[in-house]
Amino acid sequence: MDDQCVVEMRGITKIFNGVKANDNVDFFLKKRSIHGLLGENGAGKTTLMNILYGLYQQEEGEIFINGKKEDISSPLKAISIGIGMVHQHFMLARPLTVTENVMLGKKSRRGILLDTNQTSNELKALSDKYQMDIDPNSKIWQLSVGEQQRVEILTAIYMGAEILILDEPTAVLTPQETESFFETLRQMRQDGKSIILITHKLEEIISIVDEVTVLRDGKMVGRRTMDASVTKDDLCRMMVGRNVLFDFPPAETEPGEIKFSIRNISVKNDKGVQALQNFSLDIRRGEIVGLAGVDGNGQKELCEILTGLRPAESGTLQLDGKDVTNRTPNYYIKQHISHIPEDRQTIGLALNWNLKNNLIIKQLGKGPFTRKGFIEEKLVDQNWEKARDAYQIKAIDGNELARSLSGGNQQKLILARELSLDPHVLVANQPTRGLDVRASEYVRGQILKARNSGTAVLLVSADLEEILQLSDRIAVIYDGQLMGILPRGADPMDIGALMMGKKQEVHD
Amino acid sequence: MGSILNITFFVSLFAGMIRLATPILLPALGQIYTQRAGILNLGVEGTMLMGAICGFIGACVTQNLWFGFLCGILAGMIYSLIMAWLSITMRANQVIAGIGMNILASGLASFIYRLVFGIRALPAKITSFQSLKIPVLGDIPYIGTIFFQHNILVYLTFILVPITWFILERTTYGLKIKAVGENPRAADSKGIDVARIRYSAVLVGGAYAGAGGAFMTIAYLNTFTEKVIGGFGYIAVSVVIFASFQPVRAMFGAMLFGLASALQLRLQAHGVGIPSQLLLMLPYLMTIIALVIASGKAVFPSAYTIPYSRMER
Amino acid sequence: MNEKTRKTAINAFGTICMILIALILGGILVYLTGNSPFEAYGAMLRGAFSSPQRISELFVKLIPILLMAFGVSIAYKAQLWNIGAEGQFIMSSIAATAVALYINIPIPVRFILSFIASLAAGALYAGLAGYLRNRFGANEVITTMMLNSIASYFLMYLVNGPMQDPTTDLSQSPLVPESMFFARLIGNYRLHIGIFILLAVTIMMCFFWKSSVGYRINLIGQGEMVATYAGINVKQTVMTTMMISGAFAGLAGWIETFGIQHRILDGIAADYGNISTIIALLGSLNVYGIIASACFFSVLLCGGASMQRMTEVPYSVVNVIQGLIIILVIARNMFADRLPQVSHKEKKG
Repeated sequence: MDDQCVVEMRGITKIFNGVKANDNVDFFLKKRSIHGLLGENGAGKTTLMNILYGLYQQEEGEIFINGKKEDISSPLKAISIGIGMVHQHFMLARPLTVTENVMLGKKSRRGILLDTNQTSNELKALSDKYQMDIDPNSKIWQLSVGEQQRVEILTAIYMGAEILILDEPTAVLTPQETESFFETLRQMRQDGKSIILITHKLEEIISIVDEVTVLRDGKMVGRRTMDASVTKDDLCRMMVGRNVLFDFPPAETEPGEIKFSIRNISVKNDKGVQALQNFSLDIRRGEIVGLAGVDGNGQKELCEILTGLRPAESGTLQLDGKDVTNRTPNYYIKQHISHIPEDRQTIGLALNWNLKNNLIIKQLGKGPFTRKGFIEEKLVDQNWEKARDAYQIKAIDGNELARSLSGGNQQKLILARELSLDPHVLVANQPTRGLDVRASEYVRGQILKARNSGTAVLLVSADLEEILQLSDRIAVIYDGQLMGILPRGADPMDIGALMMGKKQEVHD
Repeated sequence: MGSILNITFFVSLFAGMIRLATPILLPALGQIYTQRAGILNLGVEGTMLMGAICGFIGACVTQNLWFGFLCGILAGMIYSLIMAWLSITMRANQVIAGIGMNILASGLASFIYRLVFGIRALPAKITSFQSLKIPVLGDIPYIGTIFFQHNILVYLTFILVPITWFILERTTYGLKIKAVGENPRAADSKGIDVARIRYSAVLVGGAYAGAGGAFMTIAYLNTFTEKVIGGFGYIAVSVVIFASFQPVRAMFGAMLFGLASALQLRLQAHGVGIPSQLLLMLPYLMTIIALVIASGKAVFPSAYTIPYSRMER
Repeated sequence: MNEKTRKTAINAFGTICMILIALILGGILVYLTGNSPFEAYGAMLRGAFSSPQRISELFVKLIPILLMAFGVSIAYKAQLWNIGAEGQFIMSSIAATAVALYINIPIPVRFILSFIASLAAGALYAGLAGYLRNRFGANEVITTMMLNSIASYFLMYLVNGPMQDPTTDLSQSPLVPESMFFARLIGNYRLHIGIFILLAVTIMMCFFWKSSVGYRINLIGQGEMVATYAGINVKQTVMTTMMISGAFAGLAGWIETFGIQHRILDGIAADYGNISTIIALLGSLNVYGIIASACFFSVLLCGGASMQRMTEVPYSVVNVIQGLIIILVIARNMFADRLPQVSHKEKKG
């Protein structure tokens, strides 16, 4: 290969739980370039880079750094050969200063005393060189997310990184911060550094990247030099584009009247960043509205608001025309709003409870399983048996603990519970994440069944194929805003473009 | 009541405040290390008790107060090793572990006392540290009496305040402790041995607690009873929370409690109308109030009471 | 059912091993005092079982410790660490005695009132800690512990002051009216009709965790996030749980007041607070485990007192054994599968 390559990864295969996260992937990084690694959620981008950074070890394949074969056994090894990585979730201690965080990773030149002043000065010089505008004596919690990210990059360079891996760096930045971030990248490239940018955003690829490698389903599907001839459509096709199979039969019924009305909802997330901005959406009876979008664009907060787990800061929710904004979770449950949460294990299940009891956690008060203030075990048993048979949950008996089930079966358990509550509205957040093909098909079938019996379904998913298979209408969320609504049968590439932030051209 | 509020009373009161702050400040300083590393060690009470009995025996047997003090420190460190093992290696619930340590200590301490001293009509006593007057400074009217006429252990404790600050803020060890309590995953990713730092933080806390317990028996009550610690361990933990885990604030917090205890003693001695038992409640009431005020505002280390295990995704 | 019974059997076996280790270590301590461990334990067993009167004393001891253990176990199941059973017991005894001595209404009504006051005192005293946790995030371990000391001093104040028996110098109140004493069951033995109350409560506890309330309390202990998702009002349930827990201690206080002590005096709560915590944890918060543990402790405590009288072995050996048991039980990772709650704040993912 080109002897200008600083990184050569050949034939990399990584297997998790029998699934090939990376399947015989080749990746080459030229010196002094910014290389984009593009793909959908689950395509294998982060896995590949984690291997390069020594967090994982590959099952097959070899890595060459500057022509020399390397066995990158740990992040410390990676750092020692000049590779630095900035993760999506920052490795920073919030109450400490920038300098203190950096000092954690290296020996002090003053023995047991900290060499704070020296390190501070060096960091300031470096920050000035790349125009990062970081005050090393500021505490992390005082910094904006964009600044924190620059701290991570600064740290990596300070520790001697010549090869920088950035995982979805602009996912947390405002457009303005993104621009200055790009300036920094250009500066570093000028300086001789080689950068890998993991991203799903097309504008970034177009505007800053020199070369792009596209991954899909763990395989490498294309590598291009980014000149004027490569368009967003080309990229989209590589990333998304095989023929999507429409397996499921068309809708048996027409959607009814509007059931759940979301109007101008705005809210900040836990970090104080705006998560939803004036978001509005209607969901009708007997309809599946698919909410497409890459993780982290406000979906989590939206689902929490719809089920009472988070208060909206402004806007209204209406159920059958009645205002139901900011009620307790119990209220929504009583209104027959079912919720398949994104976080299956911490929120959706009591892992140390058995399966039978997990099926009834929302019905512990007065209800079908209570008689005279006691939970009737016989009814609970019968309920479990029905669910087990109907949903084919693989478990020895209902007394097993929920934590012993596989991911797929855990999700089936949750599905069984949520669908048994006779839902008028179903909020399903990433319902097939982490599930194998068979389990995924099953879950999707059940969601369709719910739709056919009149439930208003909001399907939130980062899996475009799932959205395409199931939705009657497809809404796209990006950066907390509704980007557009497309009908069933819309071109995946149009959807993909909206997901990446491209504004919708007016169609109708 | 008005008749006793003269200058002598206040001088004596504030001198008492300094002296009585010591048994709270000493364990609190040690707990700053422990809690900042993310471990809630409620077993301080029991550790102090072990320090109290071992310190007392050490002092009695050798007639050397410093040897006793050393014994107390050592006992505290060894005893806190149990807590470290339970909460770090076994990853047990830290709350229960702490309570268990206290229960064990109360039995163990009584047992050891019986073993060494047998049954006596009168409890064993020792002669304690003499009051050490600092030259020149100790002669200043009023101020001298308040601050500069205490026994050596009191001075030692207050000197440890800036030392603790220095270690936490200016050394690599202090930085590592803070990192481990805040974001153990990040610390781990930077090559810091989270378990080792936490163990050391618990042992440091244990050493201070043992010292604090020894103080009670060899420099304060001059004897050993089962109730010698009397809740001071819990109060020390609360002071640390109330002080947002900072040494200087902990010093003021401890002085506040010292003031309450000193006040209670003097009011009792003067036969003031308030019954003694109600006055004795004062420190405990204050602890609850302190927790109420502080718990909402206190910024706990993010990994507080959460055991750490490195898990592959 | 087989899997469940198998797991319970393994658990029980492990617990028994821990107890044996503790007893062996205790035996070593006995040896250090220059006595024979076999003699000491023999004296203990004799002290517990050697006569009908001794056996009745076992039940007398069982009543308060089992009741209080039930009470704290309810809170612990919800991951609410109520260490304040001792303080709740004291306050309820005070309330019971105060009503009996000072409210001049017909005895039967006074009796009922004292019952209500007792339980309310325990419940509210525990509820206070629950409120402070809900509203301010104050750690309930420390608050309940402080409340213990406060209750203890309050008692001391009362029995040396306003409620002191004017006829003596001792720190105690006058006796409550004799017509309010619980009847004794067997001649002169101290065993009283409170045992029937214990029986009733025990039967009730066998069904408690199957009740709606029980399930909800249990779910909170699983995680505040799941519980909130499932529609449970967590703060309200925290209050309810603490109050129920306190009421149990209150009941124990009421029974001890009218069944045994017939007055309040310094030290009525003895060691009951710590012991109830150990029993609840030793029994894995399971009703039958708790019953078994309580019985074991009753033997340990009654026998231990005899052992001290009959041999030269100090009672503190018993305390050490208690402490060892709990440390060993904790080390056995019995609670490692429960994620520790950061009780001061709800942590968001």
